[in-house]
Amino acid sequence: MIVMSKQHSVLLKEDKCEGCTNCVKNCPTKAIRVHQGKATIKEELCIDCAECIRTCAYHAKYTETDSLQDIKKYSYPVALVPPSFYGQFKRGIKPVEVVAGLYQIGFKEVHDVALAAEAISYKTMEFLERNDGFYISSSCPVVVRLIEKLYPELLDYLIPFKSPVELTAQRVREEFIKARKADKKKKQADADELGIFFITPCPAKLTTVTNPLGMEESFLDGAIAVDRVYQEILTKIKDIKEDEDKLKGYNPPYLGIGWGQSGGEAEILKKGRIKDILSVSGIHNVKALLEEISRDNISGIKYFELVACDQGCVGGVLNVNNPFQAKYNIQRLIQEQNRLVEQDFSLYDYNLTTRFEADEVGRLDDNLEKAMEKLNQLKKEIEILPGLDCAACGAPDCETLAEDIVNGMAKRTDCIFVLRKQVGDLADRMSQLAHALPPVMKDTVKKNNANESGRAESSRNKQEDNKEDMKGK
Amino acid sequence: MKEQLILEKAIEKGDFNSGGEVSSKLKELLRKLGVRSEVIRKAAIVTYELEMNVIIHSEGGGIRVTIAPEGIILYVEDTGPGIPDLKKAFQPGYSTASDEVREMGFGAGMGLNNVKRYSDNLDIKTGPGEATRIRAVINLS
Repeated sequence: MIVMSKQHSVLLKEDKCEGCTNCVKNCPTKAIRVHQGKATIKEELCIDCAECIRTCAYHAKYTETDSLQDIKKYSYPVALVPPSFYGQFKRGIKPVEVVAGLYQIGFKEVHDVALAAEAISYKTMEFLERNDGFYISSSCPVVVRLIEKLYPELLDYLIPFKSPVELTAQRVREEFIKARKADKKKKQADADELGIFFITPCPAKLTTVTNPLGMEESFLDGAIAVDRVYQEILTKIKDIKEDEDKLKGYNPPYLGIGWGQSGGEAEILKKGRIKDILSVSGIHNVKALLEEISRDNISGIKYFELVACDQGCVGGVLNVNNPFQAKYNIQRLIQEQNRLVEQDFSLYDYNLTTRFEADEVGRLDDNLEKAMEKLNQLKKEIEILPGLDCAACGAPDCETLAEDIVNGMAKRTDCIFVLRKQVGDLADRMSQLAHALPPVMKDTVKKNNANESGRAESSRNKQEDNKEDMKGK
Repeated sequence: MKEQLILEKAIEKGDFNSGGEVSSKLKELLRKLGVRSEVIRKAAIVTYELEMNVIIHSEGGGIRVTIAPEGIILYVEDTGPGIPDLKKAFQPGYSTASDEVREMGFGAGMGLNNVKRYSDNLDIKTGPGEATRIRAVINLS
C-alpha cells in the first residue's frame, strides 16, 4: 500500500513538465498554476478528475497506485473488480475468464463491484420512490468532490449511500471476520492479513482509499491501476480450468456491469418506476449541468446519473482500451442477461457514517467587509489586465491571475502584456531623460531632431495617464 | 457596512445567449465573499429568473446587485412595456411569453413565482405601458 501524505493522487514528473499551460487551462476547478516553469496543483482545489493527466502532451502528470507486488504483503489478498473492467477485453474473453485470470495472478478471492452496484440500484429505486424532488448519484467520487467544493448548495441532493466499491469491501471484510471466528480450528488467516484491493480505472478512486467520502475510514487497503494488472491477466487467462472450483456457480452481474459506462445506472432504474433520468458524463459537461441545476433551470428530472469521465468509468485514465470500444463491449455484455442477479439486498450496510461535507474554497477573506474590500481591489486588477486569457502568466485566465494578485500569490508583472507596457514606458522615460540637457549646454539636438523630442514629450504625457494604473507596484 | 455594489450589467431584449450570465457571475462573486451557499443559491435563482424576464418580456434593461447589512439586494429595471396584471403574473403557469419563446423551453410561467419564493423581500413597481422596477432582497442569514 502506498502511504500518501497528500490528499490527492495526481502527481507531477518535474523533469517531463515543459511548463506549457494545457493542464492549467483545462482544469475544471482552476487548481493548477505554472510557477518557475513547472505545474503545481493547489491541493485544496483538486478533485482528482485527472483532466490534467489526460491533457498533458508530455505525460508529466501521472498517478502512483499500488502494484501487484503490494498484494504480497497480505496473506489473503482480495481483488474487487470494477464494472468497467470487463469492457477492457475483446469480445471473446468472458467475465468468468477475467475473474479466473485475477485468481491466477495471486488473489485469494475476487468480487464483482457490479453486484453491489445492482444492490445500490435497487436501494436507490426505493429511495427515489419514497422521497420527493430530484437526486444526484453519489457513486463518482469526482462528482461528489466537485459538489462539496463548488456546489455545496446541492449536497442534500446527493444519494446518501456508500459507493458500490465501499459497499463490497465492507461486506468482504465482515464476512472474512465472521468466517474466521466460526472456523478457528482450521486456522484461517488473521484479519490483519486480509488485504482488499480495488482494480481502479481512475486516480479518484485511489484517493478515496486514504481520503474517503461520507465515512471516516475506507474498507479498502489499496488500489491497483487497471493498466498494472491488464497484461498479467491476458497472459494467465488460458489457465481457467485450474480455478474451476472457485468459479463454480459464478454468475456475472451483467446489468451491474452496465454501471461501468454512462447510462448504466439509468438502465437499471428504468426497469423500476423511475423513468425521468438524465445521464451526463465528462467533467466539463457535469459542471455545466450542476450550474444549471443550482439555478433551478433543469426541470422534469428525478435522478441525475453524473460521472466525471467521458462515457463513464470506461473513460478513466488508468484504463487500457479506448473508451468508446469499452463502452460498446459493455453494452454487448448487458445483452447477455436482462435481469438482476438474485441476492439478499439486506446484507449490505448502505448508510454513510458521516455526511458529505461542504468544503467551500476560493474565499477572499473570512470577514465579509474585508472580502468586499478585496473584491473591489480584484475588480481594479481585472481592468488592468488585458483579458486575453492567454495563460502565459501560469494562471488559467486573467481573472484568476487578478485573484492571485489580490491574495498576494502573484504579481502584476507576471502578465507579459503589463510587463511589456511597463518596459515600454520605462524606455520612453529613459529616452526623455537622455534628451534632457543641463541649462549650460546648447541644445543642438532639438533643432536637428524636433520630431524625436516631440515623441518623447507625448509619451511623457501618456506616462502620466498610466501612473494611476501602476500605483502599488 | 454600507450598501456596496457587487455587479452591474445591461441586458438586451431577446439576448438569450447571454441569459444566465449575470446569475453565474454573481454566484462566483458571492462565493468569493464567503456568503453561505444556501443564500448564494437563492440569489442565483432569483437573479436568473429576473434576468430572463428582462430578456423575454421587456424592451431591455439592466440589473444591479449590491450587498448591505440587510442582505443581497437586486435592482432590476427595464424600459417597458410593464406587467398589466401583477396578481395574475404571480400565478404558477401564467405566462405571456410568445410561442416562439415557449418552444425554446422558456416562459413556463414559473418565473415570478420562483422570484417570490426565493426572495425574503420583494417590491415591484409596474403597470401597463410603464417601465418595471423590481427590488428583491435575499437575507444573508
